[in-house]
Amino acid sequence: MKAFRTLLKTELKLSLRGMDMLIFAIIMPVIVLVVLGIIYGSKPAFEGADYTFIQQSFGALTSIAICAGGVMGLPLVVSDYRSKKILKRFKVTPISPVTILLVEVTIYFLYALISLLTLFTVAIIFFGFKMQGNILQFILGWILVMISMFSIGMMVGGIAKNSKSAGIIASVLYFPMLIFSGATLPYEVMPTTMQKVVDILPLTQGIKILKFATLGLPMDNVLLPIIAMVAIAAICSFVAVRFFRWE
Amino acid sequence: MEDVIKVKNLSKSYGNLKAVDDFTFLVKRGTVFGLLGANGAGKSTTIDCVLGTKKADSGVVSVLGMNPTTNRKELFEQVGVQFQESHYQENIKVGELCEVTASLYKKPADYKSLLGKLGVADKTNTLVQELSGGEKQRLFIVLALIPSPQVVFLDELTTGLDARARRDVWQILSKLKADGLTILLTSHFMDEVEALCDEICILEKGKAVFCGTVSEAISQSSCDKFEDAYLWFTDEEGIDNESL
Repeated sequence: MKAFRTLLKTELKLSLRGMDMLIFAIIMPVIVLVVLGIIYGSKPAFEGADYTFIQQSFGALTSIAICAGGVMGLPLVVSDYRSKKILKRFKVTPISPVTILLVEVTIYFLYALISLLTLFTVAIIFFGFKMQGNILQFILGWILVMISMFSIGMMVGGIAKNSKSAGIIASVLYFPMLIFSGATLPYEVMPTTMQKVVDILPLTQGIKILKFATLGLPMDNVLLPIIAMVAIAAICSFVAVRFFRWE
Repeated sequence: MEDVIKVKNLSKSYGNLKAVDDFTFLVKRGTVFGLLGANGAGKSTTIDCVLGTKKADSGVVSVLGMNPTTNRKELFEQVGVQFQESHYQENIKVGELCEVTASLYKKPADYKSLLGKLGVADKTNTLVQELSGGEKQRLFIVLALIPSPQVVFLDELTTGLDARARRDVWQILSKLKADGLTILLTSHFMDEVEALCDEICILEKGKAVFCGTVSEAISQSSCDKFEDAYLWFTDEEGIDNESL
């Protein structure tokens, strides 16, 4: 436990020194929220809707930090620590290298959590946001999306040949999902054909769960996305554990 | 004297390449053991197999009477390791790296006094990547000593250092040896090996071509100087091949 705490403290400091997660996971979602708020105000999502545009987009915005940490942060740090032989160094200490992986997962979880709380606060204060659905349901969905995205990141970081290829794969996953899954550009403003295309992105499905939970819509309608998230988490975790390269 | 490191018939291949071929050696407590050989002769692979970071194809390894794979947790409370390549996080400070390293052990040494002993106490707040080559190597010795180890493994500790820094490192290692520490090191500098090592093994294409003391190496070859003796041992095979 002492090792975990000290590592967490130090790795958190290093991560904040790097600034990138602060920008992409904490600041960016708030900016997108404010921009959407300015454009759409607190208007109903569509004519006759009993929820606002911001309420409709809230779930998507909370996934930006999850996506940044899981699909960009995790694969980069894991492959970097492997190529720098930091994972190997842990193998010649009494502590298992799994500990440092858990520390990194905890750090990206914290970023996602802080982002969620910031968005919640800003949305309530400035855009009259109200969680219409069951908060517990939302949290469960949020955790499911996180597990699923983090397992993708662990898989990429764990099996990529080197930091460079991990970086390329992470970019290929991260940027399309950031822009087209509905996380930043709202899914609802896309034309129907485009929606059908972006439906193949894992995060698009995850965001549907978060949206339904926020709005208190019947969760039976997102059974398929839930199954998809669970399947992704199971498959990627299995691949990550089975084929993880320590050096 | 007790043998702290025991390696028997160690072999390790990468595909068709025999990196280490039937290598046997012992390191006694409180002595410095030098592993010599050209790049690619099998030194690092040997260290990897002894530490359990690579799995040997065959052979028996024991360190402090323990198996490095099955007794990993217990063994590495008492073993310090410095690998050839630097391995630390970007933007980490000297003090942070020491603190994290100390947190991994049950009874770590006081890293502040170690930093002082090695003359880098004033660098605690410096980024590791900003240290000079000599300061970095001193820090890596500190890291290897944080477990309060009985044995340390040092892979090419002085490569890239200037003459002054190298001499300083020698002095530090001699002191540690006098305190009873067992040291296994690899080096490309024959003056260093002569000054520090009680026993050496010379590896050539994964095979031990000589094991013994420096003076034995000199007397077994037809040379007067150790560096010539080393070259004589490592060239021998090549000469044999040519005469065929």
